[in-house]
Parts: sequence; structure tokens; C-alpha cells
Amino acid sequence: MSNSSVYPTPINAFKQSKRSVLSVIVDNEPGILARIVGLFSGRGYNIEALNVTVVDVENNLSRITIETLGEERVIKQIIAQLEKLVPVHSATNLANLKESYEAEICLVKVEFENEDQDHKILNFADIYRTRTVQKRQHLVVYEISGTSERINKFLDDLTTISGIKVELVRSGPIGLGI
Amino acid sequence: MSLDQEISGAEIILQALKDQEVDTIFGYPGGAVLPIYDAIFGQNFLKHVLVRQEAGAVHAAEGFARSSGKVGVLLVTSGPGVTNVVTGLTDALMDSIPIVCISGQVPSHLIGTDAFQECDTTGITRPCTKHNYLVKDVNKLSEIIHEAFEIARSGRPGPVLIDVPKDIQFAKAKYTPKSEVSFKSHRIKSGSSEIDIQFIEKLIEHIQQSKKPVFYVGGGCLNSGPQASQELIKLVQKTNIPVTTTLHGLGCYPGEDSKSLAMLGMHGTYEANLAMNECDLMINIGARFDDRVTGRLDAFSPNSVKFHFDIDQSSINKNVKVDYHTNTDILLSLKAINDHIDRRGINFDQNQYDPWWRQIEEWRGKDCLHYEQGDEVIKPQHAIKRLYELTNQQDTFITTEVGQHQMWAAQYYKFSKPNRWITSGGLGTMGFGMPAAIGAQMANPEALVVDIAGEASFLMNIQEIATAVQYKLPIKIFILNNEYMGMVRQWQELLHGSRYSESYVDALPDFKKLAESFNAVGVRAKNLSELDDAIKEMISVDRPVIADIWVDKKENCFPMIPSGAAHNEMLLSKYDKEKPENQEKGKVLV
Repeated sequence: MSNSSVYPTPINAFKQSKRSVLSVIVDNEPGILARIVGLFSGRGYNIEALNVTVVDVENNLSRITIETLGEERVIKQIIAQLEKLVPVHSATNLANLKESYEAEICLVKVEFENEDQDHKILNFADIYRTRTVQKRQHLVVYEISGTSERINKFLDDLTTISGIKVELVRSGPIGLGI
Repeated sequence: MSLDQEISGAEIILQALKDQEVDTIFGYPGGAVLPIYDAIFGQNFLKHVLVRQEAGAVHAAEGFARSSGKVGVLLVTSGPGVTNVVTGLTDALMDSIPIVCISGQVPSHLIGTDAFQECDTTGITRPCTKHNYLVKDVNKLSEIIHEAFEIARSGRPGPVLIDVPKDIQFAKAKYTPKSEVSFKSHRIKSGSSEIDIQFIEKLIEHIQQSKKPVFYVGGGCLNSGPQASQELIKLVQKTNIPVTTTLHGLGCYPGEDSKSLAMLGMHGTYEANLAMNECDLMINIGARFDDRVTGRLDAFSPNSVKFHFDIDQSSINKNVKVDYHTNTDILLSLKAINDHIDRRGINFDQNQYDPWWRQIEEWRGKDCLHYEQGDEVIKPQHAIKRLYELTNQQDTFITTEVGQHQMWAAQYYKFSKPNRWITSGGLGTMGFGMPAAIGAQMANPEALVVDIAGEASFLMNIQEIATAVQYKLPIKIFILNNEYMGMVRQWQELLHGSRYSESYVDALPDFKKLAESFNAVGVRAKNLSELDDAIKEMISVDRPVIADIWVDKKENCFPMIPSGAAHNEMLLSKYDKEKPENQEKGKVLV
């Protein structure tokens, strides 16, 4: 992994760690996101992905979904720390629920040069049932949704096509317990 | 005042403080709080204590809160006023002290323009408060203040800040009394009030089966109120189990009692630390397994079943994994345990722990707090011992600064009641003690309040002596003067080859003359023969006193568990040598 950060970010730093998706219900008030992000940076926890949106206008509630890495003990500590924040109603590790669903959305812009590439791209887009947002000569924009894993696979497959240029944005996972 | 009447934000603040039964506030005026100061001018229920620097206000509020069990309140202006209290807010957060800080802010329309004395107060104080607010609507002001007080004192207490822009202080609204505010339960985070009967039964079962139990009591017991400490005493009497306390737990169990093993941890007693190391049952009442207490974690009490009482869910399994825990308030839990024992007529075999007590007596036989007081130079330990012996007949509150003197105070001053010992533990804030003494004296006008200080710490907030003089607060500053930052020097001696880099405090003032220049009283003891007279004079004068006690410059604080060492690797004196491999590991720790 190459990066231009002054901080070392070793790839294998979190070998013992498990990926967890936390779902946090909060009062939608100024500073709440800063409180949560500050808690993570201040205590040295990781945020892999973060999603925040108002979900209950009447009661002024937002749902924050955080994807994080850590040993189980650390995840439990993160949840306990989150629940100490005054505007937090609840913090749940989706993995601890009997039934929960995850989804993520991703927009992918692909630039290509020839018909062969176009053909291969179309093939993958078809397999993964993407939605075409925009199509022009030598450029296509797809929307793909589903589990993060599914999106990862689609992106991995795209990289097998040589000579194309990919730019993308991902929402990070969102999840809901049933 | 009619509730239909619209009053200014500044008046709402005063009204809310009155409603919260606040009678003392520590503060320092400035541009962004002038409307509030104007409201203070025209009233008589609230006594304002003008400090000399905002840091003094926040530590005074802490001292007030700790010594009275009430919420401490302070008022500061925007910008530098509030950045000066950041240390104190962090201190209160670490040590779970309930305080409410009201800060002025530039008018709403200037926020974000880098206005004069503007800073991002809520941004700066977010990680060092339990909660904070920026008031954007005067109609919400009363409710915010009442919620702030409720948050500060409930659950695990802590500091709360309310940032009030100047235009909000002028704007008018109706006041909402405390009685009409309904708090949302998710925002208050008070501990559980449910008694966990299974936890209690398990605990009693383990007490009956164990051979080597120990109570490990911390500041949570203190925060649960003086009644909690009464219940603890009852439980200890019933079970005959030894008690060790953390720095903040001192006073929760009487220090002179035979079942007290005194303080544990880095500078705790030999018997307390070995009991923790060898116990088979550890009952943690409101302590948080702090690194000063545990020493090396992988060697911490390896063979014990651990029970943990803590109102704060995030303290459970944070540093040390425990077997059983409860988040119910300690007073409720201890009372339920005592009631359960009485109701069921459970008797504990008083001889069950005889071998354990014999072992403890053997450890006690090491006399780990022994020191050699010669004829001439005052040993700092002796100065505190004499201070204790000459003050323990009256209700005395002790505050401290941070360093060797603080640890000696914890070791040699014995507390029989909670809330009499006020010290900066978690953050370790030098300069805490004198303003904290001012706060404690405001809350307890009749009591004797002594700040046990080092000369280096005392110099950090020396300006507050003027506050004590102005309000005729007869606090005593008892300086153990060794001309060094003693604890820094001790670590340099143990870990850095006695290279005393920048730890000698040169160019010290003449503390006696300094006291006189502030219109306080100065006394001095240069050698042993002058010590008792100096202490007696200090106590008898009904004015602020600075007592400059010249002590042995090279004395170190023992026993000591060096950083990175385990409880059974204590150094008992300077003749004990640390293992070199521990020394290298310990060097990188704090």
C-alpha cells in the first residue's frame, strides 16, 4: 500500500482485528458527528467507513453507521464509550443481532479506449447487475449496490481489464437489524 | 418574578443557578460575560469569588465540589478565559468531579469570523467535558442549564460546559423552572438502579469460599456519597476482609482501622500491593484499574476471581478483565448486600481468613513506610506525620499539589471520613491544590483546610493567594520545600543515571516575605526543632498562611513499583535496586 500520509499505515496492522459494523442512533444536534469522530481518534480506534443521515425527522434522530476494525474486547469498549455520549440513544454491533442486513452503494466512472475493453466492462456490469447512470463514447458511469463484499468483487474484476481508468465513490456500508 | 415575564438570558442564568441551589460561583469577568456580571451585581443569593486566573476558578470549583458533594460552578469569559480552564476541565473529567462551567462567547453573528477573543470553545472542550453546549436560542437556555447540572452530577459525575454568546445573554425569553423540565433518560446516563441479585449471591458465595479476599476501593465509592462508605464499613465488619484504597478512595474506609491496608499502587504499601498480587478474590468497589494501581498488567493479580462495582459501563473490562460486574450505584449495591446478609442471617466464619491475616501481618512487619528522622534536617514524611498528629482532633480537609509531597501526604496522613482528601489523581495537575483549598474553604467555612504542597507546584498558581486574602479564607499552604521538582528528580535518579536535567528549582522566592507581601502570614521551619511550632502557629492563625518547611532535599518516595514492574517487584528503599531489564522497559512508560 503506498500512501502520501506522514503516518505509517502498515497493511498487516490489524491482523487480530475483526471488521465490525456499528449502528448508532443519536439526537441530530450540532457537534454530534465531531463527538463521535473525536472519540475514535482520541482513543486510537479505527474508522474504515462512516455514514450519517437523519432517519426520523419528527424525533430529530440520525442513524450513524460506522465500519471499524478491532478485537472483540476493543469493539465492546467502543460501544460502551459511544453509549456514554449524551446525545447517543444506542450503539449496536450488527454482528451481535440475530438478523441484520447490510448494503452499500458505489458509483464507478470507467474510462476506456477500445471496443474490447468496452465489451469486457459491459460483461462485468451485466453479471453484477449494475445500473448505468451515464454512457458516452469512451466513458461509462455505473451504480452498484449490495454488500460491501459484492462491490469489492466487482471492483476487483474491473481491475483485470488492462488500460482502463477507474474512479469511484462509496457510501460505506449501512445496516439494519430486523 | 412572574414566570410569564420575559427576562434577559443573563437573568435566566442567575435564576437557573438559584433554582439549582447554587450559592457560590468562582469566576473572572471579561467582555463576553459582562451582561452576566451585571446580573450578578444586582442580586444577593449568589456569592461570587473573584479568582486571579481562570485556572484558579476551575480548580476552586473542583475543591468545592469534592469537599461538599455539590456541583461546583464557574464563570469565565470567551477566548483566553475559557482556554485557561481546559486543564481543570480535563482534571475534573479524569477524576469524575461534577462541575458546570459557563463561558461567554462572541455574539452569534460574529462566530466564525475570528472575532476578538473568539475561539471554538465547544470544539476545544469537547474531549475534556462530559458534555458541552453552544446556546443558539435564548428560549432553550433554562432547559440547557438544568440539563447540564443533571448531567454533571448523575451517573459517573463530570464537567459540563455551557457556551453562551453575548447576544443570547441580552435576548429575552421566559424562564423555565427546574421543576418543569423533563429530562430525557438517554441523555442523563444515570447508572442502573436495579439490584442484581444474582451478582450479590455469587459475591457472597465467593466470599464464603475464598481464602485470601481483598476489597479494592476507589473514587466511585466516594462519588456514591458518604452513606456508601458507611455501608462499606458495615460489610467489612461482617466479613473481616482487608481493605485497600486507591488515591481517591482514601477516607472511604477509616485509615487508622486495623483492616485497612492503606493505599495500593505505585507508591502504595507493601502489604496492600502484595495482598492484591496474591489474593484469590478481589472485590473492586468503584475503582478503574488505573495503570498507577495495576503495575504491569500481565502480572496483575493473576489468581483472583474479580468482582467489579462501577457505574460506568466503559470501565468494565477496559484494562483488566473481570469475572462479575454490576453497573448499579455503589450505595444501592452495598446496601442491598448488607440487607441480604441480614435478612438471610448469613454468618461469616470470623476465623476463615486467619492464615491470610497472618500473611498480611508478616508483610506489615516490613514496615514499608519506615523512615529515619535524624536530629536536624526535617524528613518530609515526618513533617506530614506531625501535621496529621497536630490536626486530627479537628475536622480537617487536605488538598495537595502533584508530586512527592502528594504521595507522602497519601501515605502519612490518615483519613477517617470521605470527602476530606482532595487531590488531582488522574491528570496529575500541578497547581491544583491551593485553588482547590480555596474552594474547599468556601464550602466548609468552619473547617481547617490545608494544602500540602511542593514549592514547584505552589508556584504554578501562586496568584490565588490573593483570592484567599481577599475573601478572608484562612487556608494553610504547607510547603515541603526541597528546592527540586522532587518526583522528576526521583525518576531521573532511578531511570536516567541521576542526570538532574532541569529539575532543580533555582531562584525561589522567600516564601515568608512573599506571604507578607500578599497580606497573608508566613511561617518557616528550617530544622526539626522548629517544625512543631511552625505547624501550631499555622493552625492557630485565623488568616491564610504559607508555611515554608525546609525538608531533606534528597529524600525519595518509597515504596515504589517502578513503571512496567509488577506488584511483587516493589522497591522498598533506595538500597533496593531495580532489575536492569525492567529499568529499560520502564523508561518508556510514564
